[in-house]
Amino acid sequence: MAPQILLLKEGTDTSEGKSHLISNINACQAVVDIVRTTLGPRGMDKLIQDDKGKVTVSNDGATILKLLDVVHPAAKMLADIAKSQDAEVGDGTTSVVVFAGELLKNSKEFIEEGVHPQIISKAYRKACELSLQHLNHLAIDIAGKSPEEKQTLLERCAQTCLNSKLIAGKKEMFAKMVVEAVSSLDPDMDIAMVGIKKVQGGSLSDSQLVKGVAFKKTFSYAGFEQQPKKFTNPKIVALNVELELKSEKENAEVRIESTQDYQGIVDAEWSIIYDKLEKIVATGAKVVLSKLAIGDLATQYFADRDIFCAGRVPEEDLKRLMKATGASMQSTVNKLTEDVIGTCEVFEEKQVGNERYNFFTGCPYAKTATFIIRGGSEQFMDETERSLHDAIMVVKRTLKHSKAVPGGGAVEMELSKLLREYARTIHGKSQLLISTFAKSLEIIPRTLCENAGLDATDILNKLRAKHASNLSSVGIDLTTGEICDTWKSMVWEPSLVKMNVLSAATEAACLILQVDETIKNAQSNQGSDSFGAGGLPGGRRGGGAGGRGRGRPF
Amino acid sequence: MSLIFDEYGRPYIILQEQERKTRIKGLDAIRSNITAARTLARTLTTSLGPKGMDKMLQSQDGDVTVTNDGATILKEMDVENQVAKLMVELAQSQDDEIGDGTTGVVVLAGALLEQALILLDRGIHPTKISEGFDKACEVCLDKLEQISQKIEFNENSYDDLVKAAMTTMSSKVVNRYSQQLAEICIKAIFSVADFERKDINLDLIKVEGKVGGTLEDSVLVNGIVLDKDVSHPQMPKAVDNAKICILTCPFEPPKPKTKHKLDIDSVEKYRDLQKAEQEYFRDMVQRVKDSGANVVLCQWGFDDEANHLLYQNGLLAVRWVGGVEIELVAMATHGRIIPRFSEISEKKLGRAGKVREVSLGTTHDHVIFIEDCANSKAVTIFLRGGSKMAVDEAKRSVHDALCQVRNLIRDQRIVYGGGSSEIACSLAVSEFADKVSGVEQYAIRCFADALDAIPSALADNSGLSSLETLGALKAAQTKQNNSRLGVDCLGLGTLDMKEQNVYETLLSKKQQIQLATQLVKMILKIDDVIGPTDALT
Repeated sequence: MAPQILLLKEGTDTSEGKSHLISNINACQAVVDIVRTTLGPRGMDKLIQDDKGKVTVSNDGATILKLLDVVHPAAKMLADIAKSQDAEVGDGTTSVVVFAGELLKNSKEFIEEGVHPQIISKAYRKACELSLQHLNHLAIDIAGKSPEEKQTLLERCAQTCLNSKLIAGKKEMFAKMVVEAVSSLDPDMDIAMVGIKKVQGGSLSDSQLVKGVAFKKTFSYAGFEQQPKKFTNPKIVALNVELELKSEKENAEVRIESTQDYQGIVDAEWSIIYDKLEKIVATGAKVVLSKLAIGDLATQYFADRDIFCAGRVPEEDLKRLMKATGASMQSTVNKLTEDVIGTCEVFEEKQVGNERYNFFTGCPYAKTATFIIRGGSEQFMDETERSLHDAIMVVKRTLKHSKAVPGGGAVEMELSKLLREYARTIHGKSQLLISTFAKSLEIIPRTLCENAGLDATDILNKLRAKHASNLSSVGIDLTTGEICDTWKSMVWEPSLVKMNVLSAATEAACLILQVDETIKNAQSNQGSDSFGAGGLPGGRRGGGAGGRGRGRPF
Repeated sequence: MSLIFDEYGRPYIILQEQERKTRIKGLDAIRSNITAARTLARTLTTSLGPKGMDKMLQSQDGDVTVTNDGATILKEMDVENQVAKLMVELAQSQDDEIGDGTTGVVVLAGALLEQALILLDRGIHPTKISEGFDKACEVCLDKLEQISQKIEFNENSYDDLVKAAMTTMSSKVVNRYSQQLAEICIKAIFSVADFERKDINLDLIKVEGKVGGTLEDSVLVNGIVLDKDVSHPQMPKAVDNAKICILTCPFEPPKPKTKHKLDIDSVEKYRDLQKAEQEYFRDMVQRVKDSGANVVLCQWGFDDEANHLLYQNGLLAVRWVGGVEIELVAMATHGRIIPRFSEISEKKLGRAGKVREVSLGTTHDHVIFIEDCANSKAVTIFLRGGSKMAVDEAKRSVHDALCQVRNLIRDQRIVYGGGSSEIACSLAVSEFADKVSGVEQYAIRCFADALDAIPSALADNSGLSSLETLGALKAAQTKQNNSRLGVDCLGLGTLDMKEQNVYETLLSKKQQIQLATQLVKMILKIDDVIGPTDALT
């Protein structure tokens, strides 16, 4: 008997060839099916509960895919492009997955007929390149326009982005807020300078934009309530010092010979902290903030001298505050000179819902803004936060690139038309393939229709007819279920989002098409070896403990 | 999880631990979500209104709560279902923001969902329903603004405020004493309110309860009540013109935080030590005495030795006073919190007209009243009641009433209760529905129907025929063009809620409708539920 050649470890799963490719595509299809219904203003939300019972309600493609914890290697690629779209432009995460899925689906028949995947991907890349060029022509640039016009463009882009979200009902209000927040930032537009805070209770319309920094009242000791809660033009000190009566060195030990010395030690300890406090007071600061704890003694000391203090301020808030007020964090209270002390126009502690918040407004240095989201439930506010993040990103990117294209599927239809026209001028297999790419582009308007419960075929036909007669900005009006000029109906999208959707989806599709073999290690290592990059799920540590889908103990 | 198979019949493993996940999607998901939320809402329906019933809830530890406060019921129910949890949060956020109307908001959300289900069965797209509800909500808010009335009050005449606070309490067990409690609440709010900024820090009102006596014995203490007793039985039990020394350091020899060790190698040294210790005590008490204080409140304990010395010096001392109380006392008496003995000075002492220890009934319980403080900006509502449950429920009711009054100070507009404003909104919404073209019309009309749920639940709970009452009320409101007509729950013979003195704040009503609509929109937008198998079945 011929000896068996063992190449791979036992339990390793391999599959290859055409059938493998098809099966990869099918797997991707399954993922696309999950997010497909979230696309567009009539898209629905998903409720996802994880093992620990945490519930997330979301409409954001990237969030959904992240929470689904996709492990199929090919399908994971789609989850990854959604993630990268989110990181890069913030919006269009569902579109990118849907489009990539459609490209793959349409290539399936070519694969089955024996077209080499390389040819397919080459043609797709070509088509993608052409679309990007066309997109640039179609986009309207507002770089040279007046500030008012820019403002409207930005607001419209933000509104379009918010259209599909839970907060669509208040999109005008939020779009305005987002644009205001982003435009108040410095030219480098560090998104970290926009804080988003959530306070349960109240209705969505009670949400507000604070031009400055706001954060929740920190844990306070007795005496805090006696401190003044409002200042105008206060001096602000930011510290990284523990203002508490405590042992200076961890393992130090003092030996005392006589009882007289005892009082000396006690006094010495007190004088250390009093010294610190005195130095702070000497600067004339009225607001003392610290990353570390401010103890009860210090709280009362400050209360005595009409100074406001807050200990254990979250680091990110403190960072924003420092940038905004010009204060810099000090790890010692020595040398608190004028240049490390910040200021703002108004400091105030105010009630927001059931919480008390510290507001710092009118900051002289870096511009910063804070959203305070109000809403009925935690999930609702979480989703609002994600939506706002998307909108902020969109506005930020648009500010930089200042180009917009009509939304509502209009730009996809136009690109599709242009590609078809181009396809007719070339020979060979690529003609078919580029037409397929063009057809795949139609998935966006098609899905928009399907989600809204409209007759997709009917509407796409109308759209094609309009685009054929050179009305390039005609898209779907989902409120009436008809077609309209989306440019006029103010459904604008930043061209950057579209560009990224096209290129990322094409890349991903080509990548998946070019895989002809997958070698999967045995299950027990699965989590940590090949595809574990996306973070380990709970209960998977310790690899070989036979942890194959065993039920968790109750 | 919906499984798909490749051509060899092997399942795709697409998601992590996919076999343990369940997925419901499409209309089924919406339907199952609505059913869950509705079930929860139905539990609360019977608690609505002055004739609403209470629920008895037993926690895992066997603690029993009796209440008809929506937020409390839901919190104690410990629901598992994720959509039902959203309802719980809904009630919670109404509680956080307004403090009252928690039952109403859940009932309304339940009714809206019920209507949404009918619409879904007719094949209307969920987002269309949301849009319709949204429009209807706007109409309601406008209508509420229209029918709202501004009430006037000041520190001397606050009849309307009393009525509003009484409305809140009318549905609670405490309703027999609502007049008295309402006045207590209003006085409490007035003494802490900052009318200029319209800001009221409810933290300054302490609600303290003790079992024993009846609710009638509840009082508003112009100062602080400490649930503590005097540290030494022979100390004076009452001090007039008290000067209070508020300490956050223990009556002990000071301890350095650094590790230390005292070497004692001879008898002399030991004696020295003992002497020094005594010296410390004497010195401490002397300092307190010298400053002119006659009451000592300490956050920490005293040594017996110190206790004795304090007693000998004729001081009234209280030990182990909590940090929050210390702060409140300091604010109320204009005192400063003193962190160490060497800083005691006369200037830092707090002043109060009277400090006394009171024993309650025949029990050995003592409480300390600190009254007529220099700054009346901190007050205590001291509640008495026959049982712990009754006291707890009274506390919740007082909290609701306090919130109600606070909201009225923020916004003086009121609407009339008894379901009258809902009926008015319902009429406005149905009228509006006729003007809307498109599918939304149906949704808007259903919104109007959902609004009827509140008055009809009120009627049901009061033993009236809901359909009859509702019909009559709607007709009467339209005919007389009087939006004050509501359900006569108490059988007083008039439908006019102004005469019945049933007032609710505009803020609360608006918030109820907005929050309920928001939640319903959120639930309607979910078409896919993915979660662990055991959680969904």
